[in-house]
Amino acid sequence: MTETASSHRARASRLRGLSTRAGVHMVLAGYTLIAIFPVFLVILNSFKNRRGIFTDPLGLPGEGTFSLEGYATVLTQGDFATYFSNSLIVTVTALFLILWLGAMAAHALAEYRFRFNTLLGIYLILGIMVPIRLGTVAILELMVDLNLVNTLLALILVYTAQGLPVAVFILTEFMRTLSRDIKDCARVDGLSEYRIFFEVVVPLIRPVLATVAVFSMIPIWNDLWFPLILASGDATKTVTLGVQQFIGQYTVNWSAVLASLSIAILPVLGLYALFSRQLIAGITSGAVKG
Amino acid sequence: MSELTLQDVRKSYGEAKVIHGVDLAVKDGEFVVFVGPSGCGKSTLLRMIAGLESITGGDVVIGGEQVNDIAPADRGIAMVFQSYALYPHKDVYGNMAFALRHAGEDKAVIDERVRKAADILGLQDLLKRRPKELSGGQRQRVAIGRAIVRDPEIFLFDEPLSNLDAALRVQMRVEILRLHQRLKTTMVYVTHDQVEAMTLADRIVVLRDGRIEQVGTPLELYHHPENRFVAGFIGSPKMNFLSAERSGDGTTVTTHGSAPIEVPVQPRDTEGAVTLGIRPEHVGLVAPGAGDLDARILVAERLGGETFLHFDLGDEGDFVVKADGAATHESGETVGLSFPPQALHLFDAQGAAFAPRDRNALIG
Amino acid sequence: MSDPVTDTAKDVRTRRKRRRSGGLHIVVFLAPAVLIYSVFSIYPLVESLRLSLFDGLEDGTAVWAGLENYATLLFDPNWATQFWRAFWNNLVLFFIHMVVQNPLGLLLAALLSLAPRFGSAYRTLIFVPTLLSVVIVGFIWELILSPLWGVSETLLGTIGLAWLYQPWLGLESSALTTVSLISVWQYVGIPMMLIYAALLSIPDELIDAARVDGLNGWSIFWKVKLPLILPTLGIVAILTYIGNFTVSFDLIYSIQGALGAPNFATDVMGTLLFRTFFGQQLQVGDIHMGATIASMMFFIILVGVSIYLALVQRRLQRYEM
Repeated sequence: MTETASSHRARASRLRGLSTRAGVHMVLAGYTLIAIFPVFLVILNSFKNRRGIFTDPLGLPGEGTFSLEGYATVLTQGDFATYFSNSLIVTVTALFLILWLGAMAAHALAEYRFRFNTLLGIYLILGIMVPIRLGTVAILELMVDLNLVNTLLALILVYTAQGLPVAVFILTEFMRTLSRDIKDCARVDGLSEYRIFFEVVVPLIRPVLATVAVFSMIPIWNDLWFPLILASGDATKTVTLGVQQFIGQYTVNWSAVLASLSIAILPVLGLYALFSRQLIAGITSGAVKG
Repeated sequence: MSELTLQDVRKSYGEAKVIHGVDLAVKDGEFVVFVGPSGCGKSTLLRMIAGLESITGGDVVIGGEQVNDIAPADRGIAMVFQSYALYPHKDVYGNMAFALRHAGEDKAVIDERVRKAADILGLQDLLKRRPKELSGGQRQRVAIGRAIVRDPEIFLFDEPLSNLDAALRVQMRVEILRLHQRLKTTMVYVTHDQVEAMTLADRIVVLRDGRIEQVGTPLELYHHPENRFVAGFIGSPKMNFLSAERSGDGTTVTTHGSAPIEVPVQPRDTEGAVTLGIRPEHVGLVAPGAGDLDARILVAERLGGETFLHFDLGDEGDFVVKADGAATHESGETVGLSFPPQALHLFDAQGAAFAPRDRNALIG
Repeated sequence: MSDPVTDTAKDVRTRRKRRRSGGLHIVVFLAPAVLIYSVFSIYPLVESLRLSLFDGLEDGTAVWAGLENYATLLFDPNWATQFWRAFWNNLVLFFIHMVVQNPLGLLLAALLSLAPRFGSAYRTLIFVPTLLSVVIVGFIWELILSPLWGVSETLLGTIGLAWLYQPWLGLESSALTTVSLISVWQYVGIPMMLIYAALLSIPDELIDAARVDGLNGWSIFWKVKLPLILPTLGIVAILTYIGNFTVSFDLIYSIQGALGAPNFATDVMGTLLFRTFFGQQLQVGDIHMGATIASMMFFIILVGVSIYLALVQRRLQRYEM
C-alpha cells in the first residue's frame, strides 16, 4: 500500500467517525428534548398567571406574567399536605416491608436446602407475571371483611403483596452469588441463623436493596387504581389520587392545574436527582437483567 | 486434649452418597492434610468436622467428646476459608475480634488477643483497614489471624491458598508451617495441590470418591504408594506407568519388549495384567542398547536447572524422564532408559500395589 | 494454667454447648412474606376466578353459574361488543408499543452503548418520564395537546406544520394512537435501560475479535450484538405484553375517563373491568361480571406468556458471557 493511499484512508475514516459522532448526538439530544420538554413546559407555566400561560406558553415567567396564584389556589383549596403525608406513609411502610420480608424470604430460598424450595420460589415469583389488579374484586371484598376500607393499611398490605415477587426474585438471584464461606465463617463464629442474616447478609446486599427500593417505590407512589378503589376518602387520599381529583374539579383554572401537577412532579424529580446514579448503576449492573 | 477422631463417618444427599465411611484418628498437635482431585469429598469431610454439614452416619469426636449435634461455634474449632470470608463492613480489627465480641468476651482480653495474633502475622499496621483495602496475601493473613484469636483446639483450613498467585502461595505456605511450629495446635488442611500436601503435612490423607485411598507421611506416600491412584497423584511430574507381563515367580516382568526385569516386591498370586510404575526422576539415561528400553525423544523441555524429556511409548501416553539441566539430548534422538530395581513399583489389574520386600528401603 | 487469656476462652467455650440449629429459622424467614403474598395477592386472584363462576341474586346471595358469565361476556351482544372492542384496543396498544417503543428503546440503547460524551446525562433525562405518575403524564399531554392552550399548534407552527394540528385526543380516529404514543413517550426508558444493560454485558474482547475479523460498527451490531441480546428483547416483549393490560388503565382513565372517550375509542380491558365492577352512569356495578373480565384478562395474559415460553424463549438461546 502506498503512503498516500493509507493516509487518504485514515482521513476518510476520521471523517466518518466525526460524522457518526455528530449523528449519535443529534438523535440522543433530540430525543432527550422530547422526553423532558413537556415536563419542563408544565413546571415553567405553573409560575405564570393566566395571561402568561395563554399568550406566551413558551416564554420564561417574567414581569407581568410571573405569578404564584396557581400554587396559592392549590395550597388553600386542596389538602395536599395530607395527601403527601399519606403517600409518604404508604410508600415508606410498604417499601420497608417489601425489602425486609422479601430479603428474609430470598435469604431462605438462596441459603437453605429444604423440601419444596424450588416450588416455593416459583410460587413467590408468580406474581411478576400476574398483575395483582386482576384480583381487585376479591381484594375489595377482603378489605371490607377486614374493615380496612379507607385505611392506609389496606394500601400498604396490597402494595407489599404486589412488590414482594420482584423483590424476592432479584434478591434471591443476587444472594445466590454471595460467598458461602462468609456465612459459614459466621456460623463457626457462633452467630445464630437470624444474626447471620441481619449482621452478615444484610450489609452485603445493601446496594441491591437500594435498587429494589427505587424500583418498588415508583409504581407505589404513582398508583391510581388502588387508592381510587380502596382508599378514596379525603383522609386517606394519596398525592396521585388527590391531583387527579383536584384537576377534575378545577379544569378551567389552568394555573391551579399546572401548579398541582408541578407539586406532584417536583418531589419525584428531587428524589431522582438524589438517587439516579444508584438507580442506573443498579439496572446496568445486571440486577434486573432477568 | 485436641485429638480428632472420625468413626465410620458417612454423608449422603438423598440417594447420592458422598462420603462412604471414613475412619481417621488425628493426634494432638498433628498437621494432617486431606488431598484429592476435585469432587473427592475432602471439603465436605472438613465441613462435617466443622459442623457446617450434617452427618448422615458415624461419629465425629473432638477432644474425646462426640460433637455430631453440637453447633460449629462450640466445637472448639476455627476455620480459614478459601475466599477468606472477611466481613467487608468491618475493619481488620473488627474482623479478628468479631467471634470473641459475639461470645461476650471481656474487652481487654479481646484486645490483647487480637494484638497478639496481629503480632504473629505482621498485621499491626493494618488493623484499621477494611478488607477491600488489603492485598490478597494480607486478606489471607487476616483470615488466619481471625482463627488464631479464637484460640481453637483445632484449626481447619479449606483450600486457603488457592486464590493466591504462585509466588504468594509459596510464601504463605512457609508462614503456615511456622505458625504450626509456634502454636503446636492440631491442624486439618484441605487442598487439591499435592505439593502443598507434601510440604505441609505430618500425615497426608489421600481421598477419592468419598473414600480414603491411603494415609501416611509424605515420604511413605511417595515411596510406598498402596495403589496406582496414590502413586499417580503424589509426585510431580506424575509417575510413569507401563503395561507389563509377568514371568517366572511373578516378580519378574517384561515391558515393551525389554529384557526380564526383577522387581523387589513380595510375590503374590494375582490374575490379569500388571502395570509397572517408575517416577520420572528415577529413570536413568544411558546409551542406546545399554538400558532396559530404547526410546525416541519427542520433546525436550529445558527449565534451566532440570530438563524434562518426553517419550512416546505407545499405550501409556506420555512417558517423562527428569534429566539434568545440562543434559544435551535433543528431540528426535534415541536414548536408552534404565530402570533401577529399587525405584520400580508394581500394580495388579485392580491397581493395588505389590508390597515392597523391604518397607524401609527409600529410593534415593 | 499460666495463661489467663486462654483460661477465660476455655470457660466461655465450656459454658454451654448449643445444638446445631434445626429448621425453624427457615420457617421464620419465609412465613411473613408467604403469608402477606398469599392473602393479598394469590387468594384474591383465585377468589376472582371463583367469583366469575357465580351469579349474584337480588338478595345478595350467589348461585353457581358455571361458565355462563363467560358465555355472556363473549356472545351476549351487549357485552360482546364492549369486550371485543376493548380486547382489540389492547392489541392495538400492544402493537404500537412493539413497533414504536421497543425499536426506539433499542436505537437509544445502541447509541448509548457507544459511550458518547454526556451519555449518562442523556440516559438520566430520557428516564425522567418513566418515573412520573401516569396520571400526571396523562394530564401533561392533555394540556399540551389541548386546542384551548394551543401549545402544540404554536410548536408545529415554528416548523411550518401548523396545518397538521388536530385535537388528536378528541378524535375517534386518532385517540387510541395518541394515547399509545403518550405511553410510549413515558415508558421507552425501560426497554432502553434493559437493552443497554444487556449490551454492556457483552465482553469487549468479543467486539475486538469481531473488529479483527474485519466487521465494521454496523455489522458488529447486527451480526454480533443483536443475536446476543435477543433474550433481553424477548423479555422486553413479554413485559410490554403484560404491562399493556395494567398500565393502560391509569393513562386512559385519567385522560379519557372510565368510558374510554371519545365514544369508547380508547376503551380497554382495564377500563371495562373498572366500569363493570363499580358501575357507571346507567349501569349498576356487578362483581361477578367484573371477576369474569378480570379472569379473562388473566387467561389472555397466561396464553401470551405460554406462547412466549413455548415458542420464543425455547428458541432464544441464552449465551454464557
